[in-house]
Amino acid sequence: MNYKKDQQQEFRELAGWVIDQTRQSGANDCKVSISKRRFVEINYRDRKPEVIKEATTQGLYLEVFVDKKFSGKSTPDFRKSTLTGFITDLIDNARIMEEDPFRTLPDPKYYSGRSTGDLQLADPAQSQLSAEERHAMAKTVEDACLQEGKDKVISVEAGEYDETFEEFVITSNGFEGSNRTTVCWTGATMTAQDEGDRRPAGSHWIGCRYRDDLPSLEDIGKTAAKRTLDLMGGTKIATETLPVILENRGAARVLGGLFDPMSGGSIQQKRSFLADKKNQTIGSKLLTIQEDPFLIRGLGSRLYDSDGFPTRKRDLIIEGKLNEFLVDWYYSRKLDWEPTSGSITNLIIPPGTRSVDEIIKDLGRCILITDYIGGNSNSTTGDFSVGIIGKLFDKGQFVQNVAEMNIADNHLKFWNKLIEVANDPWQYSQARFPSLVIDGVVVAGI
Amino acid sequence: MLLPELEAGIWLGAQPSGNYFLKEFGIDENLCRKLLAKALSKGGDFADLYFEFAVSNYLGLEDGKVNQSYGDISLGVGIRMVKGDQIGYGFTQELTEESMLSAATTASTLCNVNATPVAGSFSRPKAGNYYPVAADFNGIPAKTKLPLLQTINQKCFGLSTEVIKVNAGFSNTVKRMMIVTSDGVMAEDLIPSGFIYAGVVAERNGKREQSFWNLGGRRDFSYYTDNVINQVSTKAVNNALNLFDAIQPPAGEMPVVLGPGVTGILLHEAIGHGMEADFNRKNISTYSSMLGKKVAEPFITIIDDATNMNLAGSINIDDEGIPGKKTILVENGILTSYLHDRISAKHYGVEPTGNGRRQDFQNYPMPRMRNTYMLGGSATPDDVIRQAGNGIYVEDVSNGQVKIGEGDFAFYVSQGRMIENGKLTSPIKDVNIMGNGPKMLANITMAANDLEMYYGGAGQCGKNGQGMPVSFGLPTCLVKSMTVGGTQQKGGQS
Repeated sequence: MNYKKDQQQEFRELAGWVIDQTRQSGANDCKVSISKRRFVEINYRDRKPEVIKEATTQGLYLEVFVDKKFSGKSTPDFRKSTLTGFITDLIDNARIMEEDPFRTLPDPKYYSGRSTGDLQLADPAQSQLSAEERHAMAKTVEDACLQEGKDKVISVEAGEYDETFEEFVITSNGFEGSNRTTVCWTGATMTAQDEGDRRPAGSHWIGCRYRDDLPSLEDIGKTAAKRTLDLMGGTKIATETLPVILENRGAARVLGGLFDPMSGGSIQQKRSFLADKKNQTIGSKLLTIQEDPFLIRGLGSRLYDSDGFPTRKRDLIIEGKLNEFLVDWYYSRKLDWEPTSGSITNLIIPPGTRSVDEIIKDLGRCILITDYIGGNSNSTTGDFSVGIIGKLFDKGQFVQNVAEMNIADNHLKFWNKLIEVANDPWQYSQARFPSLVIDGVVVAGI
Repeated sequence: MLLPELEAGIWLGAQPSGNYFLKEFGIDENLCRKLLAKALSKGGDFADLYFEFAVSNYLGLEDGKVNQSYGDISLGVGIRMVKGDQIGYGFTQELTEESMLSAATTASTLCNVNATPVAGSFSRPKAGNYYPVAADFNGIPAKTKLPLLQTINQKCFGLSTEVIKVNAGFSNTVKRMMIVTSDGVMAEDLIPSGFIYAGVVAERNGKREQSFWNLGGRRDFSYYTDNVINQVSTKAVNNALNLFDAIQPPAGEMPVVLGPGVTGILLHEAIGHGMEADFNRKNISTYSSMLGKKVAEPFITIIDDATNMNLAGSINIDDEGIPGKKTILVENGILTSYLHDRISAKHYGVEPTGNGRRQDFQNYPMPRMRNTYMLGGSATPDDVIRQAGNGIYVEDVSNGQVKIGEGDFAFYVSQGRMIENGKLTSPIKDVNIMGNGPKMLANITMAANDLEMYYGGAGQCGKNGQGMPVSFGLPTCLVKSMTVGGTQQKGGQS
């Protein structure tokens, strides 16, 4: 899609009008976000297009603050004739609410200091992508997957998805921000014939801000097939306590249980097992988590957060010690703390020096966890439980694929058992985590 | 035995939404015919238009005050062209002729042959009304919800001095939809949905636990009585307090008794998804070769039903214009049907079962469950627990996920108890149950006579990125062996 060059100007004019109307209608303050998204999706199966989908969507989200009362609503209708009624309805709705002295726009002093660097979040070449090129991408990935999967293939679904997103945000007390991003995804999901009625499905999908940053399409298709074939014969084994390796791309599934309890909301609402753990040890010395919003072309990169605060590099956990909470403006006021930003951008764990293959050779009997099913992480207690799929090794030798198994623990114990970090950070996510080795985990099976 | 609310609804010829899209947006038959003709201008088996106007509102209580109010308006049309199992899809949020024709052009791009004709006239199918509301129903006013949330707050704190935080919320959506198909169906519906919930954090001796409960479905305001408020508050508080005494069971395989009601989500996830016909026509479900074969003991009958009154998954008409109906999936242990949309029904040469559903106009329909339940057996719940001997009893589960091709699933047990020597003992918490759907179904060896449906409205079933309200139900039943996750191996090794 060719975005209009004056799109931001159109957004700015409309947002300015909405701010004026909202204040004239009785609001003390307001915040307007206007966005537009254009996407194309092409999926192939059985060497023909299965789905072609394409559209543009738009939305206007308005928050109003009226005499210490608050209400927010979104609409896709940008016509001023209907927005007038939308604004007055929203203000009327806010007036019904109970007073909340903490719900205000942020103090403008927190808006200053934003970086002006170009994070290269929008690929100028994306608007030139033709329908033929999109089809060719999906077909290439499908072909490679089919060739690699050979006679084990029951079905391959391959696809290409690309999106251009543009937003403009303004508040009545001086914040203004805009953002334009692109993303291009491609990959495949393969289903294979295993023994009996088992039909394991594996997939490999990769997304990048710039299409040119995608790995070779053939490699993507082949990897989807390889990951599926790696599931063949998966079965559960006897319950056992042994080291596990959380593969890089899925490590966030378990590690993610730390972030909600680090939020100001969870702490203020007494739902956080980490509330009293600031500057205390919650993991082994190998557990360091940094946030970097400025990664060039990063999937989580941005210059301002959801409150309008400038993003910044920060250390959330340093060598096992909890260093910083994720506190947004609203809960900072409720907690009477300084806000630190409640948003997460790109997360980084500094990589180690050895590959997963090297580590496995030294681990004895261990399971490499490659996927997860279901599960839960309790933010109040820190207990978690999640189903796992993976590969069992003994002294570096592959033993069998495992499925229908489960790991459970408490985060405060689990991360203290982190004994090694691999050298393979996953690049295609805002969580750039390497594979993580955890010792002494009960893996439940038979 | 069916509960009263599972009985079929009132048969009506017309839905209360009437000609809403004609009156409000000028969408008449001529315009629909023009859009369908554009979608089929390069060929195709059929095309359809899905118009939607939905208004959602949420009110939330935190720290004793109803101080959060959020809303969303959704308006647009999705235009689909189908050729075999191929789909061209475009949508627009602007109901102008120009925008809609552009979306129809997008939908048409998949074909390149001669145009397919559109029906000369449209007829409105007869459908039931399983969530009757007044013709002028326009949602539940915000003012009426505030006292309900304040009452939840008072009740929860009043039920126990150990409660330290209460959250409550009321979410509701009013959706008007119109489906128009190139083979001559035009149908409209007015669909209410929503729920009220209580979430509590309790503290005892420095330990904290949290719990959440909700009730709702396709209801108007008359449902949200004191009784409902009491149920939601009491369940949330009691569940949180139970967790203080809870232990983790040993990890490994053991008998599992599924309590009645909400545990029906296992039926939905572990078994029902594998019976959705799109997975089967692609041969990627573990049930792909099981049609007509024994999949369970003869006392087991499983139904997916659109016609239950006011449940979250009830639908008068599906999103392809097929009236809501009841589909028997497993009858006396034999797999008798899949859940079909129009594409899969044509593939298998059967009638659509009315399971073509979509999240909204931005998405095309696919086979989705509605209200999925298993009929009760002849035993009593106590018989089932006694028969289990030693294992666990599951009262509430969440966060389920299934691998369709393998049939493997995992669920988080948020409430349950140990079963020791055939009796319920200590509460349990924070464990997963793992298994394989077809194996679990085959391993159900006993069912009680206490089928109970889930009356919540907050749960959403996810599939291919689309969320969908559903309900489910189960009688107390015994699965002779499943894997229970935990931090202790049997015999006490940790």
